Amino acid sequence: MTRRDLMHKWLIYTLGLVPIWLLDAYILPRFPLFGTTPILLPVAVVAVAVLEGAHAGAGFGMGVGLLWALAYPGGYGSRVFLLSLLGMASGALCQYVLSQSLAGCMLCAAGVVALLDLQQIFRLLLADLAHLPALLQVAVPEWLLTMLWTPIIYVLFRAIFRRVGGTKLA
Amino acid sequence: MKNFLRQNGIWLLAIALLLSLVITLSSVLLGGSANPLSNVVQAVTSPIRGGISAVLDWAGGVSDYVFRYGEMQQELEDLRVQVSQLEEQIRQGEEDSRENEQLRELLKLQQQRQDFVFENARVTARSNSNWESTLTLSKGSAAGVAAGNCVITETGVLVGVVSEVGTNWCTVSTVINTDIEMGGIVTRTYSAGVLEGDFSLMSQGKLKLNYLPEGAQLVSGDEVLTSGKGDVYPSGLVVGRVEGVFTDPSGMTRYAVITPDVDLSSLIEVFVIKDFDIVE
Repeated sequence: MTRRDLMHKWLIYTLGLVPIWLLDAYILPRFPLFGTTPILLPVAVVAVAVLEGAHAGAGFGMGVGLLWALAYPGGYGSRVFLLSLLGMASGALCQYVLSQSLAGCMLCAAGVVALLDLQQIFRLLLADLAHLPALLQVAVPEWLLTMLWTPIIYVLFRAIFRRVGGTKLA
Repeated sequence: MKNFLRQNGIWLLAIALLLSLVITLSSVLLGGSANPLSNVVQAVTSPIRGGISAVLDWAGGVSDYVFRYGEMQQELEDLRVQVSQLEEQIRQGEEDSRENEQLRELLKLQQQRQDFVFENARVTARSNSNWESTLTLSKGSAAGVAAGNCVITETGVLVGVVSEVGTNWCTVSTVINTDIEMGGIVTRTYSAGVLEGDFSLMSQGKLKLNYLPEGAQLVSGDEVLTSGKGDVYPSGLVVGRVEGVFTDPSGMTRYAVITPDVDLSSLIEVFVIKDFDIVE
Protein backbone atom coordinates (compact mmCIF):
# COMPACT_ATOMS: atom_id res chain seq x y z
CA MET A 1 0.00 0.00 0.00
CA THR A 2 1.50 3.32 -1.06
CA ARG A 3 1.66 6.38 1.15
CA ARG A 4 -0.91 8.02 -1.14
CA ASP A 5 -3.34 5.09 -0.70
CA LEU A 6 -2.84 5.23 3.04
CA MET A 7 -3.60 8.96 3.12
CA HIS A 8 -6.65 8.43 0.91
CA LYS A 9 -7.93 5.71 3.25
CA TRP A 10 -7.54 7.77 6.43
CA LEU A 11 -9.00 10.84 4.77
CA ILE A 12 -12.16 8.85 4.09
CA TYR A 13 -12.23 7.62 7.71
CA THR A 14 -11.80 11.24 8.88
CA LEU A 15 -14.69 12.34 6.65
CA GLY A 16 -16.74 9.55 8.23
CA LEU A 17 -15.92 10.99 11.62
CA VAL A 18 -17.19 14.49 10.73
CA PRO A 19 -20.96 13.76 10.97
CA ILE A 20 -20.37 11.87 14.23
CA TRP A 21 -18.43 14.80 15.67
CA LEU A 22 -21.10 17.32 14.61
CA LEU A 23 -23.84 15.14 16.11
CA ASP A 24 -21.88 14.57 19.31
CA ALA A 25 -20.71 18.14 19.86
CA TYR A 26 -23.45 20.37 18.53
CA ILE A 27 -26.67 18.61 17.55
CA LEU A 28 -27.45 15.93 20.16
CA PRO A 29 -26.74 18.23 23.18
CA ARG A 30 -29.63 20.40 21.89
CA PHE A 31 -32.03 17.47 22.06
CA PRO A 32 -31.13 15.40 25.13
CA LEU A 33 -33.13 12.21 25.56
CA PHE A 34 -34.30 11.92 29.20
CA GLY A 35 -31.78 14.66 30.00
CA THR A 36 -28.88 12.58 28.67
CA THR A 37 -26.66 12.83 25.60
CA PRO A 38 -24.58 9.90 24.30
CA ILE A 39 -20.79 10.01 23.91
CA LEU A 40 -20.09 9.06 20.32
CA LEU A 41 -16.39 9.80 19.80
CA PRO A 42 -15.04 6.83 21.84
CA VAL A 43 -17.48 4.53 20.00
CA ALA A 44 -16.11 5.81 16.67
CA VAL A 45 -12.60 4.88 17.86
CA VAL A 46 -13.77 1.40 18.89
CA ALA A 47 -15.56 0.83 15.57
CA VAL A 48 -12.45 1.73 13.53
CA ALA A 49 -10.19 -0.26 15.88
CA VAL A 50 -12.40 -3.35 15.56
CA LEU A 51 -12.35 -3.15 11.77
CA GLU A 52 -8.74 -2.07 11.23
CA GLY A 53 -6.87 -3.63 14.16
CA ALA A 54 -4.84 -2.47 17.14
CA HIS A 55 -2.24 -0.35 15.34
CA ALA A 56 -4.84 1.65 13.41
CA GLY A 57 -7.00 1.82 16.54
CA ALA A 58 -4.18 3.47 18.47
CA GLY A 59 -3.57 6.02 15.68
CA PHE A 60 -7.23 6.82 15.11
CA GLY A 61 -7.72 6.97 18.90
CA MET A 62 -4.94 9.53 19.15
CA GLY A 63 -6.51 11.71 16.43
CA VAL A 64 -10.01 11.50 17.93
CA GLY A 65 -8.53 12.06 21.40
CA LEU A 66 -6.93 15.27 20.13
CA LEU A 67 -10.27 16.40 18.74
CA TRP A 68 -11.99 15.54 22.05
CA ALA A 69 -9.37 17.35 24.11
CA LEU A 70 -9.06 20.45 21.94
CA ALA A 71 -12.42 21.10 20.26
CA TYR A 72 -14.63 20.43 23.27
CA PRO A 73 -15.06 22.85 26.18
CA GLY A 74 -13.10 21.82 29.27
CA GLY A 75 -11.35 19.04 27.35
CA TYR A 76 -8.72 17.07 29.29
CA GLY A 77 -5.30 16.36 27.81
CA SER A 78 -5.48 12.83 29.20
CA ARG A 79 -8.17 12.02 26.64
CA VAL A 80 -5.52 11.78 23.89
CA PHE A 81 -3.60 9.00 25.63
CA LEU A 82 -6.74 7.33 26.97
CA LEU A 83 -8.45 7.03 23.57
CA SER A 84 -5.24 5.91 21.93
CA LEU A 85 -4.82 3.18 24.55
CA LEU A 86 -8.47 2.14 24.39
CA GLY A 87 -8.34 2.07 20.58
CA MET A 88 -5.29 -0.16 20.70
CA ALA A 89 -6.83 -2.46 23.31
CA SER A 90 -10.17 -2.76 21.46
CA GLY A 91 -8.40 -3.50 18.19
CA ALA A 92 -6.18 -6.15 19.76
CA LEU A 93 -9.07 -7.72 21.65
CA CYS A 94 -11.18 -8.10 18.51
CA GLN A 95 -8.20 -9.21 16.42
CA TYR A 96 -7.00 -11.94 18.78
CA VAL A 97 -9.83 -12.83 21.20
CA LEU A 98 -13.27 -11.70 19.99
CA SER A 99 -14.37 -11.23 16.39
CA GLN A 100 -14.08 -8.28 14.03
CA SER A 101 -17.86 -7.91 13.88
CA LEU A 102 -20.76 -5.91 15.30
CA ALA A 103 -20.85 -8.20 18.34
CA GLY A 104 -17.16 -7.56 19.00
CA CYS A 105 -17.69 -3.83 18.54
CA MET A 106 -20.69 -3.82 20.91
CA LEU A 107 -18.68 -5.64 23.60
CA CYS A 108 -15.65 -3.37 23.25
CA ALA A 109 -17.79 -0.21 23.14
CA ALA A 110 -19.64 -1.37 26.27
CA GLY A 111 -16.31 -1.82 28.05
CA VAL A 112 -14.78 1.44 26.79
CA VAL A 113 -17.81 3.60 27.68
CA ALA A 114 -18.08 1.89 31.07
CA LEU A 115 -14.38 2.62 31.70
CA LEU A 116 -14.79 6.27 30.73
CA ASP A 117 -17.85 6.57 32.99
CA LEU A 118 -15.95 4.89 35.83
CA GLN A 119 -13.13 7.39 35.36
CA GLN A 120 -15.62 10.27 35.75
CA ILE A 121 -17.21 8.60 38.78
CA PHE A 122 -13.85 8.17 40.53
CA ARG A 123 -12.82 11.73 39.67
CA LEU A 124 -15.98 13.20 41.18
CA LEU A 125 -15.93 10.84 44.19
CA LEU A 126 -12.30 11.74 44.90
CA ALA A 127 -13.11 15.46 44.64
CA ASP A 128 -16.06 14.80 46.99
CA LEU A 129 -18.39 16.57 44.57
CA ALA A 130 -21.12 13.91 44.54
CA HIS A 131 -22.33 10.63 46.00
CA LEU A 132 -22.32 7.33 44.15
CA PRO A 133 -26.13 7.04 43.59
CA ALA A 134 -26.23 10.50 41.96
CA LEU A 135 -23.25 9.62 39.78
CA LEU A 136 -24.80 6.32 38.71
CA GLN A 137 -27.98 8.16 37.76
CA VAL A 138 -25.92 9.97 35.13
CA ALA A 139 -23.56 7.15 34.14
CA VAL A 140 -26.14 4.41 33.51
CA PRO A 141 -28.41 6.37 31.10
CA GLU A 142 -25.31 7.71 29.33
CA TRP A 143 -23.98 4.18 28.88
CA LEU A 144 -27.34 2.83 27.66
CA LEU A 145 -27.92 5.67 25.22
CA THR A 146 -24.38 5.37 23.85
CA MET A 147 -24.89 1.65 23.32
CA LEU A 148 -28.00 2.43 21.25
CA TRP A 149 -25.87 4.56 18.92
CA THR A 150 -23.08 1.96 18.62
CA PRO A 151 -24.61 -0.16 15.78
CA ILE A 152 -25.25 2.99 13.71
CA ILE A 153 -21.65 4.13 14.07
CA TYR A 154 -20.34 0.62 13.37
CA VAL A 155 -22.45 0.36 10.19
CA LEU A 156 -21.12 3.74 8.98
CA PHE A 157 -17.48 2.74 9.46
CA ARG A 158 -18.08 -0.77 8.10
CA ALA A 159 -19.37 0.82 4.90
CA ILE A 160 -16.14 2.84 4.71
CA PHE A 161 -14.07 -0.25 5.56
CA ARG A 162 -15.70 -2.22 2.74
CA ARG A 163 -14.61 0.43 0.24
CA VAL A 164 -11.21 1.51 1.46
CA GLY A 165 -10.44 -0.53 4.59
CA GLY A 166 -7.57 -2.95 5.25
CA THR A 167 -5.39 -3.20 2.14
CA LYS A 168 -8.22 -2.80 -0.37
CA LEU A 169 -6.57 0.21 -1.95
CA ALA A 170 -3.25 -1.59 -2.40
CA MET B 1 4.44 -8.72 24.93
CA LYS B 2 7.32 -6.56 23.70
CA ASN B 3 6.77 -7.77 20.14
CA PHE B 4 3.03 -7.32 20.43
CA LEU B 5 3.42 -3.71 21.53
CA ARG B 6 6.06 -3.07 18.84
CA GLN B 7 3.73 -4.44 16.14
CA ASN B 8 0.71 -2.64 17.47
CA GLY B 9 1.96 0.87 17.71
CA ILE B 10 3.73 1.42 21.02
CA TRP B 11 5.30 4.51 19.46
CA LEU B 12 1.81 5.88 18.78
CA LEU B 13 1.02 5.47 22.47
CA ALA B 14 4.23 7.28 23.37
CA ILE B 15 3.29 10.21 21.09
CA ALA B 16 -0.23 10.23 22.55
CA LEU B 17 1.20 10.33 26.08
CA LEU B 18 3.48 13.22 25.16
CA LEU B 19 0.60 15.16 23.59
CA SER B 20 -1.54 14.50 26.68
CA LEU B 21 1.18 15.89 28.92
CA VAL B 22 1.70 18.99 26.75
CA ILE B 23 -2.05 19.78 26.66
CA THR B 24 -2.51 19.14 30.39
CA LEU B 25 0.50 21.22 31.38
CA SER B 26 -0.45 24.15 29.15
CA SER B 27 -4.03 24.06 30.52
CA VAL B 28 -2.75 24.06 34.11
CA LEU B 29 -0.25 26.86 33.50
CA LEU B 30 -2.68 29.12 31.63
CA GLY B 31 -5.50 28.96 34.20
CA GLY B 32 -8.69 30.58 32.82
CA SER B 33 -7.22 31.14 29.35
CA ALA B 34 -7.56 28.37 26.81
CA ASN B 35 -4.33 26.56 25.92
CA PRO B 36 -2.94 27.69 22.53
CA LEU B 37 -3.76 24.43 20.72
CA SER B 38 -7.32 24.39 22.01
CA ASN B 39 -7.68 28.09 21.19
CA VAL B 40 -6.65 27.50 17.56
CA VAL B 41 -8.99 24.50 17.13
CA GLN B 42 -11.94 26.27 18.79
CA ALA B 43 -11.31 29.47 16.80
CA VAL B 44 -11.24 27.50 13.54
CA THR B 45 -14.39 25.55 14.42
CA SER B 46 -16.19 28.66 15.67
CA PRO B 47 -17.91 29.41 12.31
CA ILE B 48 -19.09 25.78 12.14
CA ARG B 49 -20.54 26.09 15.67
CA GLY B 50 -22.18 29.39 14.79
CA GLY B 51 -23.61 28.00 11.54
CA ILE B 52 -25.04 24.86 13.13
CA SER B 53 -26.44 26.87 16.03
CA ALA B 54 -28.14 29.32 13.63
CA VAL B 55 -29.64 26.49 11.58
CA LEU B 56 -30.89 24.69 14.72
CA ASP B 57 -32.34 27.93 16.14
CA TRP B 58 -34.14 28.57 12.85
CA ALA B 59 -35.41 24.95 12.71
CA GLY B 60 -36.57 25.26 16.33
CA GLY B 61 -38.47 28.46 15.45
CA VAL B 62 -40.13 26.83 12.43
CA SER B 63 -41.05 23.74 14.45
CA ASP B 64 -42.53 25.93 17.21
CA TYR B 65 -44.54 27.85 14.61
CA VAL B 66 -45.87 24.68 13.01
CA PHE B 67 -46.45 22.46 16.04
CA ARG B 68 -46.98 24.93 18.89
CA TYR B 69 -48.92 27.71 17.19
CA GLY B 70 -51.90 27.51 19.58
CA GLU B 71 -49.63 27.34 22.60
CA MET B 72 -47.64 30.36 21.37
CA GLN B 73 -50.86 32.31 20.75
CA GLN B 74 -51.91 31.64 24.35
CA GLU B 75 -48.42 32.59 25.58
CA LEU B 76 -48.70 35.87 23.66
CA GLU B 77 -52.03 36.64 25.32
CA ASP B 78 -50.58 35.85 28.76
CA LEU B 79 -47.56 38.05 28.04
CA ARG B 80 -49.80 40.97 27.01
CA VAL B 81 -51.59 40.72 30.35
CA GLN B 82 -48.22 40.49 32.11
CA VAL B 83 -46.93 43.58 30.25
CA SER B 84 -49.91 45.67 31.33
CA GLN B 85 -49.40 44.54 34.95
CA LEU B 86 -45.69 45.38 34.74
CA GLU B 87 -46.46 48.81 33.23
CA GLU B 88 -48.65 49.51 36.26
CA GLN B 89 -45.83 48.37 38.56
CA ILE B 90 -43.34 50.60 36.70
CA ARG B 91 -45.60 53.64 37.19
CA GLN B 92 -45.75 52.83 40.91
CA GLY B 93 -41.98 52.16 40.93
CA GLU B 94 -41.21 55.52 39.30
CA GLU B 95 -43.16 57.28 42.02
CA ASP B 96 -41.32 55.27 44.69
CA SER B 97 -37.96 56.08 43.04
CA ARG B 98 -38.73 59.82 43.12
CA GLU B 99 -39.65 59.56 46.80
CA ASN B 100 -36.53 57.50 47.48
CA GLU B 101 -34.37 60.10 45.69
CA GLN B 102 -35.84 62.90 47.81
CA LEU B 103 -35.23 60.93 51.02
CA ARG B 104 -31.66 60.16 49.99
CA GLU B 105 -31.02 63.84 49.37
CA LEU B 106 -32.56 64.64 52.72
CA LEU B 107 -30.30 62.11 54.49
CA LYS B 108 -27.27 63.09 52.35
CA LEU B 109 -26.85 59.47 51.17
CA GLN B 110 -24.78 58.62 48.08
CA GLN B 111 -26.81 57.97 44.94
CA GLN B 112 -27.50 54.26 44.45
CA ARG B 113 -26.35 53.03 41.05
CA GLN B 114 -25.34 50.01 39.01
CA ASP B 115 -22.95 50.55 36.12
CA PHE B 116 -22.35 47.54 33.94
CA VAL B 117 -20.19 47.23 30.84
CA PHE B 118 -21.86 44.63 28.64
CA GLU B 119 -20.80 42.55 25.67
CA ASN B 120 -23.56 40.73 23.86
CA ALA B 121 -22.87 37.20 22.63
CA ARG B 122 -24.68 34.28 21.05
CA VAL B 123 -24.86 30.81 22.54
CA THR B 124 -23.19 28.65 19.92
CA ALA B 125 -23.00 25.31 21.72
CA ARG B 126 -24.38 23.62 24.79
CA SER B 127 -22.68 21.25 27.17
CA ASN B 128 -22.01 17.95 25.42
CA SER B 129 -21.11 16.17 28.62
CA ASN B 130 -23.63 14.81 31.08
CA TRP B 131 -21.16 15.52 33.89
CA GLU B 132 -21.19 19.30 33.67
CA SER B 133 -23.39 22.16 32.54
CA THR B 134 -21.65 24.63 30.25
CA LEU B 135 -22.39 26.90 27.31
CA THR B 136 -20.06 28.10 24.57
CA LEU B 137 -20.46 31.74 23.54
CA SER B 138 -19.45 33.55 20.35
CA LYS B 139 -17.22 36.18 22.02
CA GLY B 140 -13.82 35.87 23.64
CA SER B 141 -10.73 37.79 24.72
CA ALA B 142 -10.77 39.81 21.47
CA ALA B 143 -14.01 41.41 22.71
CA GLY B 144 -12.64 41.95 26.23
CA VAL B 145 -14.30 38.92 27.82
CA ALA B 146 -12.32 37.44 30.75
CA ALA B 147 -12.60 34.40 33.01
CA GLY B 148 -14.80 35.20 36.02
CA ASN B 149 -17.15 37.56 34.12
CA CYS B 150 -20.83 37.04 34.90
CA VAL B 151 -23.24 36.24 32.07
CA ILE B 152 -26.88 37.35 32.20
CA THR B 153 -29.99 37.33 30.04
CA GLU B 154 -31.61 40.48 28.61
CA THR B 155 -33.80 40.60 31.75
CA GLY B 156 -30.85 40.50 34.17
CA VAL B 157 -31.19 36.86 35.16
CA LEU B 158 -27.86 35.18 35.93
CA VAL B 159 -26.84 32.52 33.40
CA GLY B 160 -23.40 31.65 34.77
CA VAL B 161 -19.76 32.65 35.00
CA VAL B 162 -17.13 32.60 32.23
CA SER B 163 -14.71 29.76 33.02
CA GLU B 164 -12.43 29.58 29.97
CA VAL B 165 -11.65 32.19 27.32
CA GLY B 166 -10.27 31.87 23.81
CA THR B 167 -9.82 34.52 21.11
CA ASN B 168 -13.34 34.46 19.66
CA TRP B 169 -15.14 32.09 22.02
CA CYS B 170 -15.58 31.45 25.72
CA THR B 171 -17.02 28.73 27.90
CA VAL B 172 -19.55 29.56 30.59
CA SER B 173 -20.16 27.44 33.68
CA THR B 174 -23.91 27.75 34.15
CA VAL B 175 -25.45 28.55 37.56
CA ILE B 176 -26.18 24.86 38.13
CA ASN B 177 -22.64 23.62 37.35
CA THR B 178 -20.70 22.08 40.24
CA ASP B 179 -17.87 24.65 40.08
CA ILE B 180 -20.20 27.61 40.77
CA GLU B 181 -19.72 29.28 44.15
CA MET B 182 -20.88 32.83 44.91
CA GLY B 183 -22.69 34.82 47.55
CA GLY B 184 -26.48 34.80 47.43
CA ILE B 185 -29.16 36.67 49.34
CA VAL B 186 -32.90 36.11 49.80
CA THR B 187 -34.60 39.44 49.06
CA ARG B 188 -37.57 39.01 51.45
CA THR B 189 -35.58 38.11 54.57
CA TYR B 190 -32.08 39.39 53.66
CA SER B 191 -30.75 35.94 54.60
CA ALA B 192 -27.32 35.50 53.06
CA GLY B 193 -25.76 32.20 52.02
CA VAL B 194 -23.44 30.67 49.46
CA LEU B 195 -24.85 29.69 46.07
CA GLU B 196 -23.28 26.39 45.03
CA GLY B 197 -23.80 23.97 42.20
CA ASP B 198 -24.56 20.44 43.36
CA PHE B 199 -24.09 17.36 41.19
CA SER B 200 -27.31 15.60 42.22
CA LEU B 201 -29.33 18.81 41.72
CA MET B 202 -27.61 19.65 38.41
CA SER B 203 -29.53 16.95 36.52
CA GLN B 204 -32.77 18.50 37.81
CA GLY B 205 -31.59 21.96 36.71
CA LYS B 206 -31.32 23.32 40.27
CA LEU B 207 -28.66 24.58 42.71
CA LYS B 208 -28.15 25.11 46.45
CA LEU B 209 -28.08 28.17 48.70
CA ASN B 210 -25.81 26.80 51.42
CA TYR B 211 -24.89 27.88 54.96
CA LEU B 212 -28.17 29.66 55.70
CA PRO B 213 -28.33 31.55 59.01
CA GLU B 214 -30.06 29.60 61.78
CA GLY B 215 -33.06 31.86 62.13
CA ALA B 216 -33.75 32.26 58.41
CA GLN B 217 -37.45 31.75 57.72
CA LEU B 218 -37.58 31.08 53.99
CA VAL B 219 -40.67 30.09 52.11
CA SER B 220 -41.11 28.53 48.73
CA GLY B 221 -41.04 31.17 46.00
CA ASP B 222 -38.68 33.61 47.77
CA GLU B 223 -36.48 35.42 45.28
CA VAL B 224 -32.70 34.89 45.46
CA LEU B 225 -30.19 37.43 44.12
CA THR B 226 -26.40 37.54 44.06
CA SER B 227 -25.12 39.33 47.16
CA GLY B 228 -21.92 40.68 45.61
CA LYS B 229 -19.97 39.86 48.77
CA GLY B 230 -16.23 39.99 48.13
CA ASP B 231 -16.77 42.27 45.10
CA VAL B 232 -15.87 39.45 42.73
CA TYR B 233 -19.35 39.21 41.20
CA PRO B 234 -21.90 42.02 40.92
CA SER B 235 -24.77 42.17 43.40
CA GLY B 236 -28.47 42.17 42.54
CA LEU B 237 -28.44 39.68 39.68
CA VAL B 238 -31.53 37.48 39.78
CA VAL B 239 -30.62 33.83 40.35
CA GLY B 240 -33.93 32.10 41.00
CA ARG B 241 -36.50 31.13 43.59
CA VAL B 242 -36.44 29.03 46.74
CA GLU B 243 -38.05 25.66 46.24
CA GLY B 244 -37.55 24.22 49.71
CA VAL B 245 -35.30 24.36 52.77
CA PHE B 246 -33.44 21.28 54.01
CA THR B 247 -30.91 20.34 56.70
CA ASP B 248 -27.68 18.80 55.39
CA PRO B 249 -26.87 15.17 56.37
CA SER B 250 -24.48 16.30 59.14
CA GLY B 251 -27.36 18.21 60.75
CA MET B 252 -25.10 21.22 61.23
CA THR B 253 -26.27 23.59 58.50
CA ARG B 254 -29.39 24.28 56.49
CA TYR B 255 -29.58 24.86 52.77
CA ALA B 256 -32.24 25.92 50.29
CA VAL B 257 -32.79 24.32 46.91
CA ILE B 258 -33.04 27.05 44.28
CA THR B 259 -34.79 26.78 40.94
CA PRO B 260 -32.99 29.19 38.56
CA ASP B 261 -35.10 31.71 36.67
CA VAL B 262 -33.04 31.15 33.53
CA ASP B 263 -34.17 28.54 31.02
CA LEU B 264 -30.81 27.21 29.87
CA SER B 265 -32.24 25.14 27.03
CA SER B 266 -33.79 28.09 25.21
CA LEU B 267 -31.00 30.66 25.48
CA ILE B 268 -29.92 32.26 22.21
CA GLU B 269 -28.50 35.69 23.07
CA VAL B 270 -26.82 36.61 26.37
CA PHE B 271 -24.81 39.50 27.85
CA VAL B 272 -21.37 39.23 29.42
CA ILE B 273 -20.72 41.75 32.24
CA LYS B 274 -17.14 42.76 31.43
CA ASP B 275 -16.91 45.37 34.19
CA PHE B 276 -19.17 46.70 36.92
CA ASP B 277 -19.37 49.43 39.49
CA ILE B 278 -22.10 49.23 42.08
CA VAL B 279 -22.92 51.77 44.80
CA GLU B 280 -25.56 50.66 47.31
